[in-house]
Amino acid sequence: MPEPVDVDDLRQRLMRAGYVADAGLATALACAVSLERAVLLEGDAGVGKTDAARALATVFGAELLRLQCYEGLDLAAAAYDWNYGKQLLAIRTAESRSSGSESAQDHIPDLYADEFLIRRPLLAALGAVRPRGVVLLVDEIDRADDEFEAFLLEFLADFAMSIPERGTVAALHRPIVVLTSNRTRDLHDALKRRCFYHWIGHPSVEREIEILRLHLPQLAPALAADVARASAALREHGLRKAPGIAESLDWAQTLALLGAARLDAAVFEPSLGSVLKYPEDLQQARASAPAILAAARGATG
Amino acid sequence: MNGLDEAALAAGFDRALRNRGVAAGPRRAQTFAEVLRVLPPESAPAAYWRARTAMLPSIDDLAAFQAAFLDFFGSLGDAGALRRLVRSVDAPAPARSPDAPKRETPPAPGEQPAGDRLAERAPTRWIVASSEQRLSDKPFEELDERERAAMLALIARVRVAGEYRTSRRRRRHARGDRFDFRGTLRAAARTAGELVRRSATRRRERLRPLIFLVDVSGSMAPFARALLQYARVTAVARPRVRALAFATQLTDLTPLLRHAGDDRLMAALGAAVRDYGGGTRIGAALRAFNDGLGRRGAARGGTVVLLSDGWERDDPQLVGSEMARLRKLCRRIVWVNPHKRHPAYEPLARGMAAALPYLDAFVSGHSLHTLEEVADAIEGRAR
Repeated sequence: MPEPVDVDDLRQRLMRAGYVADAGLATALACAVSLERAVLLEGDAGVGKTDAARALATVFGAELLRLQCYEGLDLAAAAYDWNYGKQLLAIRTAESRSSGSESAQDHIPDLYADEFLIRRPLLAALGAVRPRGVVLLVDEIDRADDEFEAFLLEFLADFAMSIPERGTVAALHRPIVVLTSNRTRDLHDALKRRCFYHWIGHPSVEREIEILRLHLPQLAPALAADVARASAALREHGLRKAPGIAESLDWAQTLALLGAARLDAAVFEPSLGSVLKYPEDLQQARASAPAILAAARGATG
Repeated sequence: MNGLDEAALAAGFDRALRNRGVAAGPRRAQTFAEVLRVLPPESAPAAYWRARTAMLPSIDDLAAFQAAFLDFFGSLGDAGALRRLVRSVDAPAPARSPDAPKRETPPAPGEQPAGDRLAERAPTRWIVASSEQRLSDKPFEELDERERAAMLALIARVRVAGEYRTSRRRRRHARGDRFDFRGTLRAAARTAGELVRRSATRRRERLRPLIFLVDVSGSMAPFARALLQYARVTAVARPRVRALAFATQLTDLTPLLRHAGDDRLMAALGAAVRDYGGGTRIGAALRAFNDGLGRRGAARGGTVVLLSDGWERDDPQLVGSEMARLRKLCRRIVWVNPHKRHPAYEPLARGMAAALPYLDAFVSGHSLHTLEEVADAIEGRAR
């Protein structure tokens, strides 16, 4: 097993990679990396689950392999496939050569050689050439079906995969594995048991300001603070879809584009469409605009 | 700390968690012990986060986890400091999920029926003894104690409803509709490279989700009991069934459907009815469902079966707007209202009237016999 990584050190390095992680997330990621075990990140849409994997890849200079899950995801799309066209071509070529007088034995192609193998993310993840050389992101695992979950379970257990035509392929260096889930269904506990777990909640105001300023360096500090406080206030309103960090970033960018220096009544209404995506939510936010604007200015209560 | 201490600590904490009803299990405890060995925590917050990422099964268990953390580590060190710590860490509020009862360990993958065709399509034939025949037409609320027990047993004979759709997954099939390169080439290897056998694949079929939303308030109780029994029978026979109960509060019963005994199910129902006789908050329950499971896609492509008499305690307008949302989140809505059995019934309850435009089927489901209509309606077949 490679050297363990220190939690605080990893946090600093993530920050330099443009990702603000809190103590809990940094611990989960450090444990996963140090013990070479997968980490499962859950949370509402837009809180930065996928970005965590991206930042992790940047930190370790690793290749990021992303597997977006969907129902009906099968081995051919997730693990490997054979290049059938090329295989047929090889057969035909061999046939035409052996039609001469030479012994046919010399020209039998190996149809399951590397050149015919198409490596999809799971198989590619086994091919890291150095420790921590690959980050495998299995995105939205809850969208895949039970069969795929069961397969992934095996894969995570020993980081090996058997290809009937080739035998077992095992990883020389284990990949860093990040699973994300939006909780559209409960994952199987057998899978969860094998992972470190972290729930990414909505960030505190301070952390959100940090994130906004890190991602949008040209953003005025006052505006960043306004947006973070207003987003926090919106999350208190029991909306259909509370704004995530992704929405806050969109909002801040929109406001900057509108040339606003602070978040005030003049720009609140026209920019609201970048944060809230349900008509009912928009209506509710408009109705309580004064309260939200007051909160944005840092007034409490 | 030496290796033994870490393992003992992790095992002890696992026990503390179990005492609080969190089933973390030995595998997680082993992981925790490894974490403690590889990344020894230098402070209390560090220990907390290490314990949490290794041992917390789900965010729903957070409150119990924190209590267990205090139970266990509180006795080791400065209890007051730890309590402040647990309070200070930014504990995220679990997302809108209704306060779910403790999960049962679900069956291992592969243990579930792989979506075998629901064998029986023909309507159930109620060839039973005469007393039972009488039972099959009697409204659930008029049954006495003994009859009710017999009725619950008979529900197992009601046809299990299920509708299929074609999946994106393919499987080899003799009369498949797509040429299978891989299979054909593999087969060709056996025949000296000649393509003799043609292999083909066909799309698999999958069951559509089925969700029961059951009003368990006072007047609905006998009917709710029967429909929930039907939900249990269905959940045992096929995958992708969920059931939620509501009166003043929405409670997810799904984890209890397959394995839990009646007493545990009843205890969970109690949680859905916070104040008895407080009436039903249909709109609020629908909203909780839409915002939680619904928005996350649990009902997509499936049928939602709603049991209620439509008496809304709060604003009936909310029922209308939430039904409109539900309409967009699922494929079919079946409303079961036992009052519909009376010939003179008119949907006058304001919640019912508001919901009516969004229904695909409106059935009574008040007796064993009419539960068959519910099964038909789930599959979109009118009788």
